[in-house]
Amino acid sequence: MRLLTTSALTAGLLLPALPAAADPVESGPWTSYSPTFTVQERGCGDVGDLTFKLTCSTDSGDQRAERRYATYSDGTRQFEGYFKITSLPGSRISLKQTFKTTGPFFMLAVERGGRLYAVHGGDTIATGATIGTTVRVNTVHVVGSVHRTYINGSLKHTVASESGSFYDKFGAYRTASGQGPATVEWSGVRFWRK
Amino acid sequence: MRARMVLALALVVVGCAAPRQDPAVRLEAALVSPTDVALRWRGRDPGAAGHVIEFATEPQGPYTILGFLPPEQTAYTHPDLMPRTTFHYRLRPYYGAASAPVDVTLGDGPYPKPGPGWAEPRVIPGGSPGSRSVGGEGAAPTGLTATVTQADGIAFRWADRARDEEGFLLEDRPAGRPDYRVTAVLAPDVNAFGLVTLPEERHASYRVRAFRYGPPSNVVRRTTGDLPSPTTGED
Repeated sequence: MRLLTTSALTAGLLLPALPAAADPVESGPWTSYSPTFTVQERGCGDVGDLTFKLTCSTDSGDQRAERRYATYSDGTRQFEGYFKITSLPGSRISLKQTFKTTGPFFMLAVERGGRLYAVHGGDTIATGATIGTTVRVNTVHVVGSVHRTYINGSLKHTVASESGSFYDKFGAYRTASGQGPATVEWSGVRFWRK
Repeated sequence: MRARMVLALALVVVGCAAPRQDPAVRLEAALVSPTDVALRWRGRDPGAAGHVIEFATEPQGPYTILGFLPPEQTAYTHPDLMPRTTFHYRLRPYYGAASAPVDVTLGDGPYPKPGPGWAEPRVIPGGSPGSRSVGGEGAAPTGLTATVTQADGIAFRWADRARDEEGFLLEDRPAGRPDYRVTAVLAPDVNAFGLVTLPEERHASYRVRAFRYGPPSNVVRRTTGDLPSPTTGED
């Protein structure tokens, strides 16, 4: 996986001028859709609708409370959601993943103090995921080209994407170096494709 | 009579569609690059404890808070924005007095293992319900206590004196910093919360504030352009 700078990335991606889309973000036309999902509760993970909890401080094993959405393998996909961390005695908890069926691809995680980072590479994505504040996440994934992550409207992370099959996940998931407890509330989750 | 009823209904509808705005504050926005918006505002309510600056990409929201800002701050830059997207901005004051501060110095322990749920925001019953209006006299939380629960953990408790708060702000000022900052936003009626600290917070001052938001400023909108063109590295 190669991390690209924003300027390098846009070289082949500038699109013809189109009317500004009020929503979703970036140029369209986008089509809203509702992928199916399954709920994953493992270890001390607990899911209650859109509230995701890790109730233990276990620093090993599979501890997860997530939604796993349907697999896609082509086109451009956009995810939008809002998360609020209401409690974080633990640290290094993955909140949102764009997962490749053959292994992890992009994982947005939080550590104490509200630093958001990319698990693979460790880049700081943003700060300010303060307990109790709502943070907006948009990801735009052009399969076989690029994956962009916007935090509160600002482009914070860009990574090249291979072709393949992917799916979105969100919730609370203990990373290899992390541990709970953690409570995360998600809202306003929407998907588009083009 | 019927005309009056229609007029009254129209006024009600207008009132619902256009929420009250804060006339004291005037927000302005400039697109200073294709994907950077600079915000400035004039005027302020001297009684405000601070402001929140918010954005949305749809006119009706939802609005997301970009930051809790001190009352003297009058500008904010929202950088590296989503291209070809319309951003809506507004500013809202918040009100409420803070408790007396407590200073905390963390040690190395050992500390007994804290009980489960010690860090969860919660309402511990037993105190008298708050009866004061936020912004009025005597509405600030009282009796703030801080108990070190682990080498990097503090359990806070306080008494809620307000009856109409929209929440509580836990604020800290690590040693060497000039100002307090918001470290947690908690729901109404909460009177206990545990914070896991950062290394810079080994010595810090803490306070808690019951708060309410005031009316929003005018809304300003800007539509971003394309992402910046790549540079070739050549002159």
